[in-house]
Amino acid sequence: MTTLAIYSNKGGVGKTAAAVNLSYLAARTGAKTLICDLDPQSSATYYFRVKPKLKSGAKGLIKGGKQVYKSIKGTDYENLDLLPADFSLRNLEVTFNNLKGSKKRLRKILKPFKAEYDFIFLDCPVTISLLAENILNAVDYALVPLIPTTLSVRTFGQLLSFCNKHNYDAGKIYTFFSMVDRHKKMHRDIIATVSTAYTGVLQSFIPYLAQIEKMGIFRAPVAEFSPESVASRSYQNLWDKVQKNVLSQGKRH
Amino acid sequence: MQNTLKFKLPDGHNEKQFFDKLADQFALIKEPTVTERFTICDTFDWRLFNKSLVLYACGNRLFLRQLAKDTILSSAEFPSFPVFIWDFPDSELRRQLAPIIKMRALLRLVDVQSRSVPYRILNPKEKTVARLAYEEFRPGRPKNESAVVTHLWLKSVKGYPKYLHTLAKQFQEAGLKIIKKEDVFFKALAVVDKKPGDYSAKVNIQLDPNMRSDQATKIILCFLLRVMRINEALIGQDLDTEFLHDFRVAIRRTRSALGQIKYVFPIKTTDRFKKDFVFAGKLSNELRDLDVYLLNEDKYKAMLPPILRKDIDPLFDHLRKKRSKALQNVIRGLKARKYAKILKDWDAFLNKPQRASVTASNAKLPVLDLARNRIYKKYRSVVKVGSQILGNTEDEMLHVLRIDCKKLRYLMEFFASLFPRKKINVLIEQLKKLQDNLGDFNDLRVQEEYLLSISMELPATQRQLKTTLVAIGSLVGTLGRERQMVKDAFADTFTDFASPENKELFQELFASKAKEDDS
Repeated sequence: MTTLAIYSNKGGVGKTAAAVNLSYLAARTGAKTLICDLDPQSSATYYFRVKPKLKSGAKGLIKGGKQVYKSIKGTDYENLDLLPADFSLRNLEVTFNNLKGSKKRLRKILKPFKAEYDFIFLDCPVTISLLAENILNAVDYALVPLIPTTLSVRTFGQLLSFCNKHNYDAGKIYTFFSMVDRHKKMHRDIIATVSTAYTGVLQSFIPYLAQIEKMGIFRAPVAEFSPESVASRSYQNLWDKVQKNVLSQGKRH
Repeated sequence: MQNTLKFKLPDGHNEKQFFDKLADQFALIKEPTVTERFTICDTFDWRLFNKSLVLYACGNRLFLRQLAKDTILSSAEFPSFPVFIWDFPDSELRRQLAPIIKMRALLRLVDVQSRSVPYRILNPKEKTVARLAYEEFRPGRPKNESAVVTHLWLKSVKGYPKYLHTLAKQFQEAGLKIIKKEDVFFKALAVVDKKPGDYSAKVNIQLDPNMRSDQATKIILCFLLRVMRINEALIGQDLDTEFLHDFRVAIRRTRSALGQIKYVFPIKTTDRFKKDFVFAGKLSNELRDLDVYLLNEDKYKAMLPPILRKDIDPLFDHLRKKRSKALQNVIRGLKARKYAKILKDWDAFLNKPQRASVTASNAKLPVLDLARNRIYKKYRSVVKVGSQILGNTEDEMLHVLRIDCKKLRYLMEFFASLFPRKKINVLIEQLKKLQDNLGDFNDLRVQEEYLLSISMELPATQRQLKTTLVAIGSLVGTLGRERQMVKDAFADTFTDFASPENKELFQELFASKAKEDDS
């Protein structure tokens, strides 16, 4: 079983779109897949047409075990289940903070599901504090979508220093380019610079496309409603790269 | 409640009407139809079926599942269809199949075509809340054959259990029955006229204890004749070595029955057919020997030091050539007039009605009495000979004891249906252990002699010949050491067999009437 977080300490970078599409593609290979929507905005839950409701809210989630299990819903797709978001998740960080072993709570919550699922994807809210530490402790890999802009790159740098400072293994962090506009010289230049400056940069580019935004209208992964589109192909390419360069290679040393 | 239910559709149902009606009540989304072809496989003697297993090939994968269940136990990809266990890629599937199919070939029994039409059931918010699949199976050939099995699968979606309940209830009210134990395996095989389990070389007959002995003996012999006929027809196809083996065992059992079930037929008749079946058996002695050596190829190689393993290849190449000639000889022998006449006369004799007045002294004896008498006598002879050997283990005597044990075993199997099954099976198991020891000893002795004699036959032109001879020498040495170990184990094995508990059980089952008939 492999746990992957789609994580960023910057908002609006295409995390949810990536999490929804990657989990869909993983399930389509026949792998039992769970996507956990940890974001109180519940966008992933909305895309899968599920009501954003956890049994006993964030408290139930923290208790773990049966309460969480009962909240899981099957999606419209074979092999793909969803742990829905809940508005109470907005307090998750505070709740974790009041508990013993506050940095490893999420890992404990997910543990019982490892036997049932081949892949667990976490769609994470923007954070770089206790919740981020919980995420980094819980997952095998974190995939970070990066918009090729100066600000995004700066935030990515902050994440790496955070890992460094708090002794988290930066080897489990991989990045890919998101919302790319190849017509912009700046995007092209930054892609080139980032690709040489950092390790773990997947050569995968999710373009800035209207098709991806239409996920909100169709309430489905792109590959489902527009399988032949550029958007669909770019997520497939990202999943291929994740399988080839992340899952079969392991952590970078 | 389970999260998947399987329903049987009523006879004469109409797929379209059924789903049209359902669509009136629920939002149904039809998904792309999946059609697949698969081939059900088993050995000629149904080894997988006998273990309640189903093996089928679909695309380039083989799947193993339990009969009447849908969970796959294991599966493996294959580059080309494997016929023998050694053709399988190293996999869990191979490990599971190996002890079951052993040296038998997998036969493709029937092609099946499946068509599955999946549907999603949506709630008012257009979220999938349950899944349905209409599934039908039809024979792959002839084309356009009608479906033999039709199912409806209902599967719940996690988090929406009430839809499964509602639908299941509704289906049952509409006359659909939940099915648990049904397997397409049987219906698909029935289409090609195959009956699972209809062949086994094991003696499987039911005798009536009060039956006349000559009549009972004919029943046993008819069974053996059928085994001979079935296998004889397939030896020429050379699918695997066991058609010949079963054929030969049936002949050996026939000879044993003629010799051991005494005085049930006129002496002239018994003598004639005894000789005839010696002849019929001899036809294939060489071929069977060669089969055994070739089946043991891997085992022999493993006995050699790694440095010599390749050097023995010329021996096996030579044996393979000899085998193809031997096979042709057997095919010719089985087609020849002499053999055909033996079987024809034998068939005629077995199917001739019993005469009321008979000359043979045991012909009219109730078969139970005869069976007890013969088995008990043979048992006592085995114990006597074995006890003599304990004092002085001569190779020749071990051979005599082996033959005696075989006769006893055959008698017990012929008449097994006359005795309590559990008890006689315990004794057969005990006897089997002794036979294994004696059989191993004999096989090793014969193999050593054969390997030494065959080394003279190897073509002198082979450059590798010298190293091949070294390898054969090394192999003979290892076989000799193993034979000594087997011989050392004889005393304990025999003592176990001759134990007071076994003796008591032999007496209980077979001794009570023995004295009367002993005279």
